[in-house]
Order: sequence, then structure tokens, then C-alpha cells
Amino acid sequence: MFRFIIRRLLITLPMVLVIVTLTWGLIRLAPGNFYTGEKRIPPAIEKNIREKYGLDKPWYVQYGKMMSRVLKGDFGDSLTYPGQSVNQILWRTLPVSATLGVLAYLLALAVGLTFGTLAALRQNSKIDYASMALAMLGISIPNFVLGPLLVLIFSLTLFWLPPARYGGFPSWSLVMPVITLSALYMAYIARLTRSGMLEVLRADYVRTARAKGLSEKQVVLRHVMRGGLLPVISFTGPALAYLITGTVVVEQIFAIPGLGNYFLNANFSRDEPLIIGIVAFLAILILVFNLLVDIAYGIIDPRIRY
Amino acid sequence: MSYFRCAEFRLAVALLALASLAAGCGVASTGSVYFGRVIPPEGQVMRYVTGSEIESLDPQVGTGQPDARVYQALYEGLVEYNPKNTLPIPAVAERWDINSDSSEFVFHLRKNARWSNGQPITAKDFVYTFKRGLSPELASRNAYLAYYIKYSQGYNTGGSFVRDPKTGQFVLEREVLEEVIKAGEAATSRAPEGENPAHETQFHKFIHEPTRLVLSGDETERAGQLAANPKIEAAIAGKELVPVKADDLGVEAVDDYTFRVTLRQPAPFFLGLMAHQFFRAVPQKTIEQYGEAWTQVGHIVSSGSFRLKEWIPYDRLVVERDPNYWDAATVKLDRIIFYPVKDNATIMNLYKAGEIDGFLNHTVPAPWMDHIRPLRDYMDATENGNDYYDFNVRRGPFTDKRLRKAFNMAIDKVAFANWRQTVKPLTGFVPLGIFPGYPNPKGDEFNPERARQLMAEAGFPVTKAADGTWACKNFPISEVELTYNPDGMNGQIATFIQGQWKQNLGVTVPLKSMEFRTFLNVRAKGDYKGIARDAWGGDYMDPFTFLNLFYAGAENGSGWHDPKYDAMLDEANRTSDPQKRYELFAKAEAYMLEEQPVIPLDTPSVNWMKKPYVKGMYPNPLTLHAWKFVYIEHDQAKWDQGTPSMAE
Repeated sequence: MFRFIIRRLLITLPMVLVIVTLTWGLIRLAPGNFYTGEKRIPPAIEKNIREKYGLDKPWYVQYGKMMSRVLKGDFGDSLTYPGQSVNQILWRTLPVSATLGVLAYLLALAVGLTFGTLAALRQNSKIDYASMALAMLGISIPNFVLGPLLVLIFSLTLFWLPPARYGGFPSWSLVMPVITLSALYMAYIARLTRSGMLEVLRADYVRTARAKGLSEKQVVLRHVMRGGLLPVISFTGPALAYLITGTVVVEQIFAIPGLGNYFLNANFSRDEPLIIGIVAFLAILILVFNLLVDIAYGIIDPRIRY
Repeated sequence: MSYFRCAEFRLAVALLALASLAAGCGVASTGSVYFGRVIPPEGQVMRYVTGSEIESLDPQVGTGQPDARVYQALYEGLVEYNPKNTLPIPAVAERWDINSDSSEFVFHLRKNARWSNGQPITAKDFVYTFKRGLSPELASRNAYLAYYIKYSQGYNTGGSFVRDPKTGQFVLEREVLEEVIKAGEAATSRAPEGENPAHETQFHKFIHEPTRLVLSGDETERAGQLAANPKIEAAIAGKELVPVKADDLGVEAVDDYTFRVTLRQPAPFFLGLMAHQFFRAVPQKTIEQYGEAWTQVGHIVSSGSFRLKEWIPYDRLVVERDPNYWDAATVKLDRIIFYPVKDNATIMNLYKAGEIDGFLNHTVPAPWMDHIRPLRDYMDATENGNDYYDFNVRRGPFTDKRLRKAFNMAIDKVAFANWRQTVKPLTGFVPLGIFPGYPNPKGDEFNPERARQLMAEAGFPVTKAADGTWACKNFPISEVELTYNPDGMNGQIATFIQGQWKQNLGVTVPLKSMEFRTFLNVRAKGDYKGIARDAWGGDYMDPFTFLNLFYAGAENGSGWHDPKYDAMLDEANRTSDPQKRYELFAKAEAYMLEEQPVIPLDTPSVNWMKKPYVKGMYPNPLTLHAWKFVYIEHDQAKWDQGTPSMAE
């Protein structure tokens, strides 16, 4: 187990570097530059800008410069926001996105697991139908519909909650973004829990557990849950990484100063250091969460050994 | 499938429908003459959405309109935009003298202007500001706005004078450049009348010497310069190159409170340009001490009526009244909170819920218009901008002027404007009604009959089918596309225009949508087939900000240039009588319209809202607000009952 973790961590670094290289190449391929805008700038001024940012150097010099910075953990300064370093931006926006993401994750887990379990244990009952119908809605209503719908009801009709903007943690401003963000995940978790548990409920080892006289509570908690939750775990690991970093739509709708907004705009504005910084960060996060998922597998599922 | 039949599901659907119905009623039944809640904030605090996140707090770095509005609170220039018509009004300069052909401006600064740290703002600060803005190291994207200042372009682009090492004499423009020889160069040699003789400095003599030749700093460009004019090649043989320095720029602090700018050519609009963010005073000491970090809270020193209190990027930017400001008694607001919000629906929601008091232009979405337009807090006025389509005149079928004219005449622009709701139809290029006295020339009107005739003359006859529709069988449709970026309404607009051509010319032009920056690149290079979307927002309040787009050296999407047109503009700018100048501009515009390098579509409306208790804020053509005049009116009787009067 220990060796497995070390091995995986050792692979992570080169993988991040490959991802950074690919990203860098893709930005080069994209037409347009960070300084191009609807207002055309004269070629002489374009030249000044290219000199200032070293864009007049050959590509391998630019790549080398970028890599040596990234290896030192410094992603450089943003191009669209001069004077702000990428590291600064990451440290400022991550807590905001993470607050939103973790809350949405916890909400999704709590609601999804509860209803999924209940639905599985009472298959074909009213509670099963009701929760699966809601789950279906959760999956099929996109968050750019759900968000404005909530705003319409709770901010513009009832005037209970602020329609947008981030008020810190804890604050009422979090309620609608968190619900909007978690709806899809809630629904997925409920469905995954239900189907995973249903499968396990019919498994031989559960029959054995029942046969040897364990109470229903013990059967569910110790045997059914452990097996039934495996699909949920493999889903929620990366999901947490996405929730923390990839909340673009919700951040747009609710004007939240998180990482997602920056990521989206960095791409539109060809802000190379910022794109690379966020991609590298996202890659590390996803690799780490996948590793955590694999470790969790080993603990929960007695059939898996590393 | 069993979910769909169960009672719970039906109940859920019914509940959801009910909820949206209730919400819908909420919108319709407010019955108010204003949009949403109208509750003024306590005290004098303005909450404003200025658009996307600003790039920088450095007024010479940020280029966007959202940035410009923040700079208007923090920095002041020689002049400020009049809140109603955005023409220049006194700011740090309390008065000014202009010479007879508008090529030299002497600004007399007020003696009580102060930085936010209490230090006086002097003419030296403006000299520093102008030189810094133009330095190649800063690489400001707005530097081109200052290119009218003598030798500024040479300095900004690393150009050089040419000097004879033996005699120390510089090669002059009039010795080698045809156009200067013709124009006689008389224009730039007079100081404003009645000027203090003590102001005749050594520098002033230098700057009024005949203009020196400047060679480009770029190797290939210089080679082009030499190749194009054999006289230059001959004149520079055996001479040395002397780089243009900041000290050669035509800006001078005559004394602490007299600032003089000398231009390379007459430019009557230059005074209005001085209100632009690029020319607003920035603090030398602070910048030299902190470098790029000078704009951070704690470092920043500002020159405007407000000073920075807090900045959390993507969240809020707070400025507070600056007691050191020379006109602090006029400033009524204690604080302005700028929120960066990009999504239009989100902005509308914040406004409706009463969380903000006003927002930027172009924000009310078209589907909301029927509901919003009748309300009293909707701001509707003409903008200093236009929308148009470029013809690619470099290659393809639209090198034929008859086709360009046919495609223009086949669009019913009145119907187009009625459909868009937030624009006025435009047949010329300069927006209508915002430059008083400008005799806007008319372009070709909607005339499908004549358009079909022109098509036939160009070799593409349009014939009527049995069902009454038009068809053009031999038009090379594979060589034409309408290229645009899919932001905002662009997609719907392209479809509308496509429909007009289909209906009136029987030609179905394929649509091609491209991501914004990809599109800009394609358009700048002229790599599009036939037609591309375009638009312009004026930099200052003068028709020249539009007409200049087709001037030599300027890049326009169509690729159209004409020396005759350039000469017409030059002549107009040399004319000191403003009305005569406008007439000459109009002649040039008519000449350009006759060539039809573009299809003018419309002039947009400013399209924004403010609560009735916000006073001193007007739907001006640039949507730039002098915040020092804005205040919150708590007396309900004095609230605005509609668009505030724009009369002076």
C-alpha cells in the first residue's frame, strides 16, 4: 500500500509537466493574442508589447522560460491583469471556490446517500419513486436553468435571498449557489447509491450475512454499504475536484469571485500564465483525488489489495 | 418508465409549474413605473456595476470601458468629460489657449490641484505622465491616441532621427517627403496668440524647428521606408542614426502651472482627447518606488475626486471621497462601490432586487425590452458608436463596387432597427445626432430594385421564379461567407441580414461563427470570405474618431484605403473654422460611402438603467460618468421621472 502511494505520487509530477506542455502548445495554436481586442492596435504598439513579454523570442526560449518558472512553483504574472501574479490569484480565488464546492459536496453526499439508501431498501415503494423522480429532475435540469429559477423565486419574488454576489462564509448568499451546484451531484449520488446497493443486496455474501443471523442494521451498515458505495466513491472523488475548481456556470450566474470565472476568462483572453497555472493546479488536484479514491477502495473493498 | 406514471412525479411537475407561474406573475404584476425595488441606500453611497473585471488600476494600462469608469473616480486629467455631452470641461487645467490651426495647446493648471497624498499636481507631473504613457517599455495599448504629439510616434516605436556627423545637421521631412513638401509645413509653426513672451523657451524653439525625418525602429519597416522613397535612401547615406528620446516629445512644463503640448499636425479634437484615461495624471514618485505594484492599496497615490479604499478583484472595488481633491466641496458621494459583473441577466437581477443603483451600457437583454423600455429608470440615448459589416475589398467578388452597393441596398435598415429595438438605422458611417452641426451625409437607402439591377450589371442577374421569390443562379456563393463572433446578438443579427439578402437578391450567404479572438485575427488579416462583422466605439467626441479608421496606416477590417480620402481628411483637419471642418469631413465621408467598403447598419442606444434617486448621472454618448457630480437624492419629490434632461 505504502509503495503504491509513493509510486503514484512519483508519476504525478511528470504527468503534470506533460499536461502543462500540452496546454502551452494548445495556447500557441489558438489564434489571437491576449492584447488583441475589438479596438485594433497599430503594428508598432503590438511590437512593443511582444518585446515586453518576450513573445519575440523563439518558441524554445519561451518554453524554457515558462518551464523553469513552473518547476519553481511560480506561474508568473497574469497578462490580462498586469501586476497580479497567478499564484496570488490562485490563493485568493481557491478559498471561495472551495467553500462553495465543499459545501455543495457535503450537501450532495448527505441528501444523495440518504435518499439513495432509502430508495434501495424500500425498492418500488413511494419513497423510491419520489426520490428517483427528483433525481431525474436534478440530472435533467441544467444548473443554468435551476440557478435563475431559484433567483426568480427567492430573490425577485419573495426577496428572501440576495440574487447574486459572494458574502463570505457563512452567509445567506451561499444558499442558492450551493443548491444549484449540488443538484446534479445529489441526483447522481442518489442514483448510484440506489443501484449499487440494490446490486449488493442480492449478492451471496449478504445472504450469508443474513443467514448467520446478523441484525438488519448490521447487514446494511457493515456489508451492503461497503460494497454498494464503491461506484459512489469512484464518482465523488473526481467530482470533488471538479466542484472545487470547475464551477464556471454557477460563478457566472451568481457573480462569485472564484477560480471558475478566472479560468473561463483566461481562456477567452489567451492569458497564458493564468491558463497554465489553473490547468496545472486542476491537474494536480484531480490526480490527487484519484489517488485518494484508489486508497479508499483498498480500505472499503476487502477484495482489492495493493 | 414507472416514474412517469406515479402520482408523486405529477405532483412535482405541477409544483414546479406553479412556482414558475408565481415567479412570472411577480415580474408582470409589479405595476411600478420603475424596475424592481426602489430603496435608496443610506447616506451618500453609490453601488454601480461597471461590467467585466478591470484589467488594472493603472489608467495608462487598462483599455476597457469598465476600467475607464473606475479611472474617472481615481484620476483626473487636464480636462474632464461633461457629464451630459462628454465634451471637455476644465479639470486640473482651469483654462487653455489654442493656436489658430489647433496644433499647439497651452494649459494653465489650477494652483490648488492636489494628489491624494496632499502634494500639488504640477505641469511636471503631466510631462511625466505623457512621457511614461508613450515609453516603449510600458507598451501601452492606448499609446496610439497620443501620436498627434510631435515625435511621439517615433519615440514610442523606437524610431531614429538622421544626423550628419560632420555638420550636426538633421535630415528634415521637407527635404525628402513629397506630401510635406506639398503641404508646405506652415501649419505647425505658430504659438497661441497673446502668449507670454517669457514662455519662448529653448525647447519651444526646438520643437518648432522644421520637422526632422524619423526612420522606423523596425528593420523591415525601415527597409520598406527606404525602398518606397529613393530620396530618403540618398539623404541618409553616410549619416548616423540618433534614437528619438522622451525629451524630444512635444510636451513641456513651461513653469509649474503651465503645460504646453505641440502637435505634429492640426488636431482640433485633441482637447477632447485630453479627458481620456491615457492622459490622466499618474504619480511619478510612487511609480518609481513600487514599479508595477504602485496601484496596490497602501501604495497608490491618485489624482481624482475619489481615492482607493479596497479592491478585491472579481468581487468589489471601493473608492471614497478624497478630502485633498481641489474641488472636494462639489463631491457629494462618500463612497462608490464598483461591482464587476459580466452576465447581463445577473446584473438585471441585482438591479431589480435593489442591490445596485445603476449599471453599464448595452445591458438590458433584447427579450426584456418590451417590459423595460416604458419604465422611467430606463436610459435611452444615442451612443458614440456604430455597427457595420466589412466587405473584403482585397480579394473575392466584393472587389467589384457594384456588388458592394447591391448588398448594401438590399438591406432594409429601418426594419432591421425596428427588429433590434435598441438601435437607430444608419446609412452613413458617423453616428447620427451626437455631433451637433455635423452634416451627416446619407448613404444609399434600401432599394432592392436598384440592388438587383446592380447585380445584373456585375454579371449576376437576379430572376423572379414562378412563386414570386428571387433567385440568382450564377452568384459564386462558395466564395462568400458572413463571418462573425457569436457573442451577444451577433448570431441573430447575421441571420436577419442573411434573410434580407435571400429575400431581395436570391442569394443565401453562408454564416460562419468564430470564437472572438480567432475572429479578430481573421478579420485583421483579411482572411475572411466576403463579409465580416465590425463595430467601433469612438475614443473622443469628434467625427474624426470614426473617419480615421480608413486613414492611411489605420487598420480597418475591409482593407480599403484611398490617398484621395486621406488628403480630404488632412485638409479638414487643417481647417480652423469648426463648421467648415465638419463640412469637409462630411465630404470625405460621402466619398468613402460612395466606395462602399462597409455596410453601415446602426447606431446603438446606450441601453442602461439607474434608480430614480441617482442624480447627476446622464445617458451620455460615451457612458462615462464624472462621479464628482453624482449623488443620491433622498427627497422623493426630486427623483427623476424619466430620462434626465440633457440640455445644458
